[in-house]
Amino acid sequence: MLSLVLRGFMQRKLRVLLTGIAIALGVALMAGTYILTDTINRSFAGIFNVANRGHDVVITPRQSLGRNTRSQTSPVTEQVLAQVRATPGVAEAAGSIFTPGAFLDIHGKRLTVGGAPAFIGSEVPRRFESFTVAHGRFASSASEVAIDEATANRNHLKLGEQMVVAGSAPARPYTIVGILRFGGGQSFGGAGAAILTLREAQRVLAQPGHFDQIDVAAQPSVSANALRDRIRAVLPATLDVRTGAQQAAKDTSDLESNLSFIRTFLLVFAYVALVVGAFIIFNTFSITVAQRTREFGLLRTLGGSRRQILQSVIYEGLLLGVGGAVLGLLGGLVLAPGLNALFKAFGADLPHNGTVVETRTIVVSLVVGTVVTLLAGLPPALRATRVPPLAAMREGVEIPRTMPSRRAILIRAAVGIALLIVLRLLLGGGVALAGLAIIVAVRALFVARRLRRGDRPRRYRVVPALARGIGALVAWRGITGRLAQENSMRQPGRTMITAAALTVGLALVAFVAVLAAGTKATINQAVSRSFAGNLIVENSQEGNREQGIPALLAPSVRKVPGVASVTPIAFTAGRLRGSSSNVTITAIDPATFERVYRVEWKSKNGSNATLLGLGNEGVVLTKAYAESKHLKLGQTISVLTPTEKHVSLAVRGIASDNARLLGNLTITLSLARASFGQREDALDFVSYAPGASNAQVQPAVNRLLAASFPQARSRTAAQFKQDQSNQINTLLALIYVLLALSVIVSLFGIVNTLILSIYERTRELGMLRAIGTSRKQIRQMIRYESVITALIGGVFGLVIGVVGAILVTTLTLSGSGYVQSIPVGTLAILLVVAALAGLVAAQLPARRAARLDMLQALASE
Amino acid sequence: MATGASAPERIVEAEDLRRRYGEGEAAVDALARVTVAFPGGRFAAIMGPSGSGKSTLMHILAGLDRPTSGVVRIGGVELTELGDRELTQLRRDRIGFIFQTFNLLPVLNARENILLPLSIAGRKPDQEWFDVLVDTVGIRDRLTHRPAELSGGQQQRVAVARALISRPTVLFADEPSGNLDSKASNDVLELLRHAVDDFGQTVVMVTHDAHAASFADRLLVLADGRIVHDGAAVSSEQALDLMKSVG
Repeated sequence: MLSLVLRGFMQRKLRVLLTGIAIALGVALMAGTYILTDTINRSFAGIFNVANRGHDVVITPRQSLGRNTRSQTSPVTEQVLAQVRATPGVAEAAGSIFTPGAFLDIHGKRLTVGGAPAFIGSEVPRRFESFTVAHGRFASSASEVAIDEATANRNHLKLGEQMVVAGSAPARPYTIVGILRFGGGQSFGGAGAAILTLREAQRVLAQPGHFDQIDVAAQPSVSANALRDRIRAVLPATLDVRTGAQQAAKDTSDLESNLSFIRTFLLVFAYVALVVGAFIIFNTFSITVAQRTREFGLLRTLGGSRRQILQSVIYEGLLLGVGGAVLGLLGGLVLAPGLNALFKAFGADLPHNGTVVETRTIVVSLVVGTVVTLLAGLPPALRATRVPPLAAMREGVEIPRTMPSRRAILIRAAVGIALLIVLRLLLGGGVALAGLAIIVAVRALFVARRLRRGDRPRRYRVVPALARGIGALVAWRGITGRLAQENSMRQPGRTMITAAALTVGLALVAFVAVLAAGTKATINQAVSRSFAGNLIVENSQEGNREQGIPALLAPSVRKVPGVASVTPIAFTAGRLRGSSSNVTITAIDPATFERVYRVEWKSKNGSNATLLGLGNEGVVLTKAYAESKHLKLGQTISVLTPTEKHVSLAVRGIASDNARLLGNLTITLSLARASFGQREDALDFVSYAPGASNAQVQPAVNRLLAASFPQARSRTAAQFKQDQSNQINTLLALIYVLLALSVIVSLFGIVNTLILSIYERTRELGMLRAIGTSRKQIRQMIRYESVITALIGGVFGLVIGVVGAILVTTLTLSGSGYVQSIPVGTLAILLVVAALAGLVAAQLPARRAARLDMLQALASE
Repeated sequence: MATGASAPERIVEAEDLRRRYGEGEAAVDALARVTVAFPGGRFAAIMGPSGSGKSTLMHILAGLDRPTSGVVRIGGVELTELGDRELTQLRRDRIGFIFQTFNLLPVLNARENILLPLSIAGRKPDQEWFDVLVDTVGIRDRLTHRPAELSGGQQQRVAVARALISRPTVLFADEPSGNLDSKASNDVLELLRHAVDDFGQTVVMVTHDAHAASFADRLLVLADGRIVHDGAAVSSEQALDLMKSVG
């Protein structure tokens, strides 16, 4: 049987290739995702290993609110350092700084790329230092700086030139005295480091007497573990004490969990592409099984069993699946750098040294590719077993139909659930949803198949009606358009599944487009309604919301002529007693806040006066949070802060905030500074004095920012809205690029179906040519047919996407102030794209149809 | 050969046609130096056993295939010098086809099938001529039906109307009665006869059926790629004898 299958493959090279590619593209995205994320993780692991080299023990602030949280006030102080130095067995101990900030050239242009962090660091004793000097030297005075080689090269900075480092203190220029190379020579991606003297680094970050960490070297007679235990015993619990190796592992795993969303994000698109690929395999197998009815009938006549027929089709699926998966895996190697370039283009330049192909990548790619292909090919294979021997004798013998038995339905359900569990185990919870989508899609295939069987042909109304409607657009163009219209209605089932592959991709595009338009509209409305000020001052780092602005900024801006008031906003986090998850906390200055921001109060739940009387023991909750936690006015809650304090807060008010500036909890800024270790602000809201014009005040504010706080920028409400909308557009563009892969996969499906249909219609095409149809007309006919199919897929996709988005937002966001908005222009463009996609897909089949050998086509039998 | 007082124009001419398949020792001549002419307004039947070259001859005469050497002219136009585009146009405007398997488009109804050659050419149908044809072939009441809803005989009659709608210079019929029962077969052959007698149509028909050949004016018999008989049509019994003598 296998040799028969192989021989069949050789005879249908093109179809096999096209079908194989349909599955390979999805696998390639999956493998590429694993390879890229593994490479990034491995690169960070390498960086952290170097960073902790020569450190026997490392002391860092305890992350009391869990992984990736940190207090802005470090508990690692001079006093701690003294305690460590006094511990027996310590050969050397030094405090150091390594904190994200900003550095810029003297014209105010940032030296780091996109959202990548710019670390401000301090020099450490030689044995702890992970940087080596490539040119020049380390900083020896407060006005000197040494920077990493990649940043210097990227910005063409040379020794002796000036650059600006901005932290919490007003920024000032430094002379570059050294170009540094990171220990192993690894790339940092887009990130950079500027190393100052320790004192200067502490001053810049407004943390005199504090360190980010203490590095310790043990005396030769003491092991790292023993020294760690000794130090642990003398230090307070607010500090973590680890060996260098432990610290490297901890840093690596923190980062992995931080970046895990990238993998999940990309895998979702890989699974979408695989679902589309499954459609194509199902469709191709269905058509070829139908075309080979005679062949199967002959095999049955010659004594072949049903089992053998099933085997032959399944072997075909198996070979195709394995082949496609291998091709996909190789494609993944090519795609991984491409994905990296894509992220880089969208502002996320992550380090990637070498290419990491884990065994897991290979196994998962091969298994998923093969299993998806086999599952999609199974229904047509089962159908092939029902071909009666009689089919060998006569043309047009129908394959008998059976409705699935109860047992069969149970088996299918079990297979579906098992698949979901396997996916969950294999890939983790984030992808289980995608798994569910696959199962739903497979289920849809079964339903579609039942529809195809035509027991109730009346159920096929939509596709022919659509084909007729869309076909009418081309039918007026003459006979070629008219024939294309008729041909696309000929086998509605086939047209539907072919179109469905495109539908999946386009529905998601439409869904995301509607969601994005709604989000933009919502933000616009919320900002218009809630923000009563004139300017918003924020950090200008794109795509990194964690970077704040110095607390010093607000008082400085207040002095600008024409400014009436400035109210700082800060964001922090906390954890309610007895809870294991964090709450978002917004800190405000009650005295000035209500003047620039409109909070919606419901009757007795509070008023702006509530804010004024908030004090350091009061808290305001958002309505949604209060409802979800059943919290009422007057209740007291205990909150764990990032500095590991417990504060008791009385619920003084419950507010609605459609602009979502207010977190779950809202507290005063003074409480945040005192008990949450909050030193920076996130935003400053500025309002002008009566009569002051933006044309005068904003430039004055900007001059101040450029001189002292170059990491910040000022935005009017309109500019702020535009920024938000640009950010959404950037994300949208990234999603479009990734969904384009699914659309490309579905194009292969259209190509495949067209080629198979052309093969079926050989005689018709031969006749058309014989009676004088030109090659051009034949090509035109096939192109129209393809465009009609693509547009059917497009219309379905748009309808599903738009209706889906409206449903989802109505169900989940009703009452939250979500504003519905349908991007009509974008949707129209999508339809044009679908039509163009159809045209592209038709090129090869059209050329084949036009080149048909007339005599062979006309030869009887 | 029929040479009347009016000496009809030679509509289709072939000179010294040779069609060779394969190369070297394995080469086979499907046609070996065939020279033949078909005057206008006549009905010629080409017979011959399987492999005699009769289909190859028709394909080459109709511009569907190209000879290895030799010249074909239709209405004075030399086919062998035409490119694919001109050849396609010539088939569209000057040649009508009837196939053994009808070859109607299943997605079009009878009317649309008949008008197909004009649609392809982008020409307006001549309503009067259409009506004449529809009444001649007798399918007026089936015009809105699709091929699947027509009997074999009806389908072939639609095919005859389709072949005549563009008033071709010559009509080629490839075993037109091969897939029909004897009643339907006679109907179609009489239609062809009628087209020759009443519309002055030139018809060249390939068949292996002696009865079908008996409807023609002239009978050519091919064997091994050569014309072995060329004369006035004969009764089907005589034609059968003729075939036996060459086969």
